Amino acid sequence: MGRQTCVISAGFSEHASKRSDVSMPEMVSEAIEDCLKKVPGLELKDIDAFVNGNMPAFEGANIPELWMTDWLGARNKPLLRVTTGGTTGGSVAIAGYYTVAAGLPGVDTVLAVAFEQQSQGDTSVGLASVALGEMTAISSLGLPIEKLRRLVSAGAAIGIASYQATNYMRKSKITEEDLARVVVQNRRNAAKNWYTHLKMPNLTIQDVLDTPYISFPLRYGMVCPASDGACAMLFTTEEKAKEWADIPVYVNGVASVANQTAIVGYNAAGAGQLDPSEQLGSQLSADLAFKQAGISFPRKEIDYAEVYAPFPNQELMWVEKLGLFEMNTATAMYKAGVTAVNGELPINSSGGVNSTNAIGASAMERPAEAALQIMGKAGNQVKKAVHTSLGHGWGGIINLITMMVMADEPQRKFR
Amino acid sequence: MEKVGIVGYFYVKMKPELDYGRYDLVFETVRGALDSAGLKKKDLTTVISCTNDYYDGRTISNAFCVEPGGAYLVDESKVEMDGPHAVLYALMRILSGNHKLALVWAGSTPSCFPYDSTQLYATDPTWERPTELLNQMVSGGLQMKAYMNKYGIKVEDIAKVAVKNHKNAAKNELANPEAQLPNISINDVLKSDIMSDPVTELMYAQPCDGMAALLLAPEKQALKITENPVWIKGVGWNQETYYLGDRNLHESKAMELASKMAFKSAGITAKDVDVAELFEHFAHEELIFSEAIGFAEKGKGSKLNSEINGDLPINPSGGAIGGNAPCATGLIRMIEAVKQLQGKAQGYQVKDAKIAVASGQVGFCAQNSILYVLEKGGN
Repeated sequence: MGRQTCVISAGFSEHASKRSDVSMPEMVSEAIEDCLKKVPGLELKDIDAFVNGNMPAFEGANIPELWMTDWLGARNKPLLRVTTGGTTGGSVAIAGYYTVAAGLPGVDTVLAVAFEQQSQGDTSVGLASVALGEMTAISSLGLPIEKLRRLVSAGAAIGIASYQATNYMRKSKITEEDLARVVVQNRRNAAKNWYTHLKMPNLTIQDVLDTPYISFPLRYGMVCPASDGACAMLFTTEEKAKEWADIPVYVNGVASVANQTAIVGYNAAGAGQLDPSEQLGSQLSADLAFKQAGISFPRKEIDYAEVYAPFPNQELMWVEKLGLFEMNTATAMYKAGVTAVNGELPINSSGGVNSTNAIGASAMERPAEAALQIMGKAGNQVKKAVHTSLGHGWGGIINLITMMVMADEPQRKFR
Repeated sequence: MEKVGIVGYFYVKMKPELDYGRYDLVFETVRGALDSAGLKKKDLTTVISCTNDYYDGRTISNAFCVEPGGAYLVDESKVEMDGPHAVLYALMRILSGNHKLALVWAGSTPSCFPYDSTQLYATDPTWERPTELLNQMVSGGLQMKAYMNKYGIKVEDIAKVAVKNHKNAAKNELANPEAQLPNISINDVLKSDIMSDPVTELMYAQPCDGMAALLLAPEKQALKITENPVWIKGVGWNQETYYLGDRNLHESKAMELASKMAFKSAGITAKDVDVAELFEHFAHEELIFSEAIGFAEKGKGSKLNSEINGDLPINPSGGAIGGNAPCATGLIRMIEAVKQLQGKAQGYQVKDAKIAVASGQVGFCAQNSILYVLEKGGN
């Protein structure tokens, strides 16, 4: 059952805090154009089906792929919409993989598109409803409405991330300087990648530490920007990939194992006060994806990783949880330059989510960048040869995960 | 296409207002589906949910349904369309060979959100939203008028469909009680309030609360779980352009292409179909769809005898007019088609049904349509 799926191209739109020079469909078609132009000979008519997604509440547009049909090039074509919060892009990419892998008759080449134009709406309002739904649960604890409002403003992404950061810092005994080091690496990398948002080629650790706190230990200079942008990936069968691409990238493992909602502690679904830096879901996702891909020693076998880290503590946490480094050793690796562009295991050479975050697109940009590194076509190409790479995403209320493991060789069962 | 079986299903009785919370509803539905197959949560390898953040009034609404939806530590995702689209994704996951048992759940509670306001947010934000002129209802009115004008159809012919579906709904105990009208007449339909001329209240599938779930398994596993699975033989889905002025509203291009794809992969034609469950937002859409699928010639849909004991029974369960729970409606069509094939549609059973089709839709005038071909398995 099933068949091998390959990535043959990936494209991006220009990212910025306000892409007011283009409408949402125009921005999306920028990414599609960039994706298709990398595959000479392939035209829009060769695409059999579409998968897309964004976070509707962040730009105030529900099911926008309906009115964007013609700009996507999807008129009279099969189209599927997948949305899962922060992981939307990753979920869309995984759905693109499955659309090909299923082997449905007449569906060989699939264009996956993920996008977000946050300047069109208000992301914080969209995120507030994530926390507001817990109003009854919180008021049952006796909190007055004024305090509740304050909780909500801190209850969006950064509210959760700061709990996660302090937990992780306590366990791995790292300092704020170690967090800033991750930021510096990301933003300097972003300066070399054409489409990124925050390009800071001369950023220093001290610059980051001089910015004010938003929520301890996360400072203004450490958190991701809110970007407008889009990403597209092209999936197809092994036969067609060999015809169209010089180096087809084989998608060998995908997973999105969900953890419980109660991870935040006060959720109505449970009373559990869990450690948000534990991330059982990500560990199981990694296990599942690596198992499918036949990878037993990720630390040795993975050549490049793109992890979804809007906040620097998460980058350190994820690379450990995904099995790329031993627990509590990530900081030492960043210090030693192992994760730099010319390092032994480069991480987020694209600049990562920390430098560019068009939410719906971000989790797709991770596998997209990881695929381009194998093809040798990435904006900030690493020095070493990349044979195996992974793209990761997180979302929901830190309980959803996406993983995509890729290689320049097919999955064992299809060899 | 390799065989994938439907091995379990459940849906709660639809009501204008269900008196319990969404998480309870999700849990009851998912538990019901697992119980119907005699399985446990631990047997699930993947869960696909189908809701809409705007309908739920909550960003990333699937993140909060992980536990009640059976997705804790399970490979999970969400499709933001109609239920059958979520089944499509689950089907793909099974066909890929990565998964052995997939759960799909879908539904919403329109009693808690203003359904028509959410429609406004689905319009083109530059040209249409500021005018607030277009929504599901208005587009339905234009579609019906276009259909009547093109083929010279009388409004009574369309009211007849509404009468049939309301009467069928009365036989289906899970249908929305407000739509269960055993004594309705064509005159009642025509005299009910005008929603968007010429669509009247009783021609419209009123949104109501509801939730549905379905279990899928590959052939080998399906036969271990149940003696009479229903096989998914083919599926087709398609999206036409958005702007109403660019479309021929008297036909459904999306459904035409979707049914072509579904029949091709199933290796059958429209003539082989014994029963159809179609998601009709309005009475006239049932006619447009039955023409697009090929049950009748263009413009001749109303001539087809689609009663339960007719030539080709359409919506014996009452269809979406019998209960329209956004996101779940199409999935309920699938479940009702499965019931017909298994002979479990008590009170509205179609005789000797071997092959059924079921459809779902998204968007104004069914911009995105999906059609399944289902085949009776076992004895």
